Amino acid sequence: MNLSARMIIVLTVVGLISGSFLSVVGLLTKERIAMNQQQEIQNAISEVLPATKTSHKVFEDESLAIYESRDEKDDPVGFAVYASGTGFQDIITLMYGIDPSFSKIKALTILEQKETPGLGAKITDKTAFLRYWEGRNCEQPLLLRKPAVESPEDLAASEVNAITGATISSEKVLDIVNLSLERLKEIKQKGQLSSEEKNAP
Amino acid sequence: MDILTLFVAAILVNNFVLYYFLGICPFLGVSKKIDAAFSMGMAVTFVMTLTAVASWMINHWILIPFGLDYLQIVSFILVIASLVQLVEMFIRKMSPPLYQALGIYLPLITTNCAIMGLALLAALKNYDFIKTVVFGVGSGLGFTLAIVLMAGIREQLDRADVPEPLKGAGIALIVAGIMALAFSGFSGMIK
Amino acid sequence: MPPKKSIGAEYLKGLWDENPVFRQLLGMCPTLAVTNAVINGIAMGLATAFVLILSSLVVSSIKKLIPNQVRIATYIVIIASFVTIADRFLAAFFPPISKALGPYVPLIVVNCIILGRQEAFSSRNSIGRSLLDALGMSTGFILALLVLSSIREILGSGTFLGYPLLGAWFKPWTIMILPAGAFITLGVLLGIAILIESKTKARSA
Repeated sequence: MNLSARMIIVLTVVGLISGSFLSVVGLLTKERIAMNQQQEIQNAISEVLPATKTSHKVFEDESLAIYESRDEKDDPVGFAVYASGTGFQDIITLMYGIDPSFSKIKALTILEQKETPGLGAKITDKTAFLRYWEGRNCEQPLLLRKPAVESPEDLAASEVNAITGATISSEKVLDIVNLSLERLKEIKQKGQLSSEEKNAP
Repeated sequence: MDILTLFVAAILVNNFVLYYFLGICPFLGVSKKIDAAFSMGMAVTFVMTLTAVASWMINHWILIPFGLDYLQIVSFILVIASLVQLVEMFIRKMSPPLYQALGIYLPLITTNCAIMGLALLAALKNYDFIKTVVFGVGSGLGFTLAIVLMAGIREQLDRADVPEPLKGAGIALIVAGIMALAFSGFSGMIK
Repeated sequence: MPPKKSIGAEYLKGLWDENPVFRQLLGMCPTLAVTNAVINGIAMGLATAFVLILSSLVVSSIKKLIPNQVRIATYIVIIASFVTIADRFLAAFFPPISKALGPYVPLIVVNCIILGRQEAFSSRNSIGRSLLDALGMSTGFILALLVLSSIREILGSGTFLGYPLLGAWFKPWTIMILPAGAFITLGVLLGIAILIESKTKARSA
């Protein structure tokens, strides 16, 4: 058999064998991977809106996703907003829970961040940052309180505590939330909140 | 993130070598003389731009529509290997002097993790076509910046009294660490 | 043709004499990128070992069938397939590790150690020897990752495998977890490796 034919045959056979192998592996893992991604979103929603029993996506575009949450009596608990934006070092992805009238933020959680460890990375810390977000009044854009205060009671209702030594990371989180709040109100006005398939936790 | 921000971030804030740790082999191997470093940087930028285009097309026209995303790794690396081969043949035919300058670096580029890294990161971040190309050019320029700076320092370092065990790769890595520290000062500059 | 090493030597060379990171200066991208925590270093080491061992076995088995001109392309397809399997497996069953390692698992496909061993060894040696070589190189690589990630995690976070090690009196050297710390630590380790090598050579000379 001449060389060119052998080259082509070997390459084709190797290609076909690995191709089939990979499609088997691909199919076997596809569902599991999709499930993992779903699970992550569900966990985040339950964290920011603890009374959630079921939730479904009501809006999505490249920068934002909104999930409607209902409790076991199927009453609306609120919305979970999934947003991302530029942080100090790289992209920050977060989720916060908001009440049905868009006036109060229930809680915030950070999903992905690459901020400076020990400083900016404290935005994932409940005691250092996240607990100050609970119950914030968000009818107007939120403001950053610096220098930081010790107790959440010292904050005005629409103020959020900065992390000492990590003001920029704190600010970036604030910007992401404020921007998404603006879009939220826009979307509600345009009546773009629609119901899609339910996904139970 | 808008285009300009993305471009600047790719060069300075999230520099491929000093932040993503991609392209270390050529970074250490080809950074002894400034003009060699510059040529390598240009070759890498060129291949990166082509790869950005090719990988975006393959990802969005073939892999995603047919649900074949598990073939991403295999298809990307084959595309890169073929691109480099084609670029080498093209340059050799079209411009022998350019081939003299760049040609030897091209085969090295296939296993340069920076190229594959570019294809993977652009796919991961789900950039559209324009953003992918800008990301490719920016990252290539960032690589060039890092490698040329390193070459400049190493040319001076040759005359310094470096302890024997650290000569070569050891001191180069330490210098890279200090450069990484310097570049981290660029964080937070993008709105 | 150099004399064939003994079975033991074929394996052990990967640990020190021909250690892929410290002596051959290969595979540095992942070594720097994922060693900010020991668990990440170990996971990357195991994933790389998986790809290296299986690729070497396959290449060594079919080496007589591959025409010389297409050997690199064939190796690449084989390696890329195993990398895809490792990547999908991690994403499906260990999502937090998959997230922590990020794009560096797919990047195993361009890890020069793997392609290098196929070209230099598996394509010219028996299956048995190729397996030993792959095992040795993998062990050497995992050791290198372990050393680097231990230093970085202990000094940079005060923990080991997530467990606090040094107590509250220790203020972590955050720079260790940052890129700068990775570069500097590896540079110093390389220097130490060369120093040890020259001292042992001087003693046996």
